[in-house]
Amino acid sequence: MTDISHMPAAADDAVPARAPWALLGRAMLQALLVAIAALVLYPLIWMAMNGFRSNAEIFNSPFALPAHWSFAAYAAAWQNGVSQFVLSSLVVTGVSIVTTVFISAWAAYGLTRTTIPGQPLVVGFILGGMMLSPTVALVPLVRMMQDFGLYNTHWALILLYTAFRVPFTTFLIRAYMLDLPRDLDEAARMDGASEGQIFRKIILPLCRPILVSCVILHVLFAWNEYLFAMIFTNSPETRTLPVGLTSLMSKHGTDFAQVFAAMTISALPIVIVFFLTQRYFIRGLTEGIGK
Amino acid sequence: MAHLTLRDVRKTYGYMEVLHGIDLDIPSGEFVVFVGPSGCGKSTLLRTIAGLEEISSGEFRLDGALMNRVAPAQRGIAMVFQSYALYPHMTVYDNMAFGLKIAGLPRREIRARIERAAESLQLSPYLDRFPKALSGGQRQRVAIGRAIVRNPRVFLFDEPLSNLDAALRVATRIEIARLKQAMPGTTMIYVTHDQTEAMTLADRIVVLRDGRIEQVGSPVELYRRPANLFVARFIGSPAMNVLAAEAQGGTRLRLPDGGLAEAPFEIAPGTALQYGIRPEDLRPAAPGEAAAVTGRISLIEQLGEVQLAYLEAADGAAPLVAKLPGTLPLATGQRIALAPRPEAAHLFGEDGERLRPAARIAA
Ligand SMILES: Nc1ncnc2c1ncn2[C@@H]1O[C@H](COP(=O)(O)OP(=O)(O)OP(=O)(O)O)[C@@H](O)[C@H]1O
Ligand SMILES: [Mg+2]
Repeated sequence: MTDISHMPAAADDAVPARAPWALLGRAMLQALLVAIAALVLYPLIWMAMNGFRSNAEIFNSPFALPAHWSFAAYAAAWQNGVSQFVLSSLVVTGVSIVTTVFISAWAAYGLTRTTIPGQPLVVGFILGGMMLSPTVALVPLVRMMQDFGLYNTHWALILLYTAFRVPFTTFLIRAYMLDLPRDLDEAARMDGASEGQIFRKIILPLCRPILVSCVILHVLFAWNEYLFAMIFTNSPETRTLPVGLTSLMSKHGTDFAQVFAAMTISALPIVIVFFLTQRYFIRGLTEGIGK
Repeated sequence: MAHLTLRDVRKTYGYMEVLHGIDLDIPSGEFVVFVGPSGCGKSTLLRTIAGLEEISSGEFRLDGALMNRVAPAQRGIAMVFQSYALYPHMTVYDNMAFGLKIAGLPRREIRARIERAAESLQLSPYLDRFPKALSGGQRQRVAIGRAIVRNPRVFLFDEPLSNLDAALRVATRIEIARLKQAMPGTTMIYVTHDQTEAMTLADRIVVLRDGRIEQVGSPVELYRRPANLFVARFIGSPAMNVLAAEAQGGTRLRLPDGGLAEAPFEIAPGTALQYGIRPEDLRPAAPGEAAAVTGRISLIEQLGEVQLAYLEAADGAAPLVAKLPGTLPLATGQRIALAPRPEAAHLFGEDGERLRPAARIAA
């Protein structure tokens, strides 16, 4: 302040001199962000739009907006199995969210709050699960699922998604729990809470940001997972969306409007989930990994 | 009623022993303060009493019942944490109600207890707030309230005031003193390394060092008759002056630099000992009187009523401090001769233990 008042001329010069550059920088940054957004969003919007047109329109002028909004393709896709696939995906994703997050949170609680002999080893063992490639485990897993009688059921996918996502989810939740003050557990213990009560009433509520992140990450994974879904299911009733869409494409591959509609339907839930929770998502993730 | 008995209580972490056999009796209703330097095991001892740490060996009894393996909540002990440890996702009311709900108390009873506690701690307007919307002092009171509502037999505090600023610290200290009066049957154990807190609150002080009890006694006892050099230096501010001395026969003692002092009892000539004198027990020597210490004043801290004069120390030694009347005209650089009151001297053997008349032939 005082410096500027001593040199009014210099200050006057400085402001207009710097302003255009600052303005330009801002403008360029914003232009860049808009460009990136367009790059990412345009194909999605194009896909959704073409679901409202007919095949002929798509081929005649691929980049035009729909002349009249027709839901025919969407309805056809929905009836040609997409409703089934959506249901399967909902069941598999929903149930595996609950199992994965619950098992991971409970495991993370045990790993951060109890003293078990050889704890670093256990941590290493669980987190080592992240290294396991699904492709490598595929053949034995197929045999196992057949033996269990789970082949071609939703349970097969639920079990596999849970097993393969628990390590990573545990890793995230554990990092978060390590930062929660121990005093809180001890205060609860003095208050007479059992381990289960401490977990449910103190730790879990405090872990909400990271739990939300884990749920979203799991949705992203389970909703889009292809390899397991393709190998372990083979009937329309059990197929999830990614595999279902492929089968739809091979059957109605020339009806692009229907394919686009089906794709849009399958992408929609995840986009909605992400927009609703993105703030949580980013916060939980940075907090969890940050330390 | 809650009478605590600790017998040879030890605590080890892995191979490291942190508490080396604590023997302590705390009668019902007493306010005991644990003091000691950082890392001496105050918190550990408190936490073994709370049940948060398991006792490695020895016994802890509450009213005669062995507590070693009793769960914390079953001991009838409540604790106020240094960090307060309030549940951040619960309102003040729910924080206080948490333990009571788990204990299965009827809702009406819970409400009544919390309202009573909130009343006495002036927390009634804040019951619906979350901890993050409270000031430090208010959080502190909530932590105390959470402990009170459980009607504990024993109250534990681990440095409850260390996160408060000076003014609030005094206010809360008075609050705790009031609490103690309001709950005469409740035994309280309080950990601090603040001397003022220890001296003002305690019925008895337990001085710990390196996992051992150095002395147990009332504040005045510790101040007047410290059992050893460690306690002598630890209790009192500014700390006691300690000088190497040699007995000259009778009660005469020779101090460094030709100073002379009187011992309160006879000591065999030639005995080497440590001569302790508190700053307030030194006064300017009258003309012609034999001075215990003479030296140049290197620093004066004028506190109004009194002033602290620091004498230049021989290389490496701690400076000698005298607490003199504030009106005495003194200047830095001035030489001053100081004489002690003989009955105020504290004598310690070479091993640091207090010398008593019975042990005068220590040579
Ligand atoms: N979980 C633990 N594992 C290993 N050593 C520990 C553990 N907790 C405490 N200690 C050790 O025990 C000793 C006593 O610790 P304690 O916390 O009781 O000290 P304190 O007297 O409360 O100190 P302060 O005044 O700094 O709080 C310290 O040397 C500490 O390093
Ligand atoms: Mg401590």
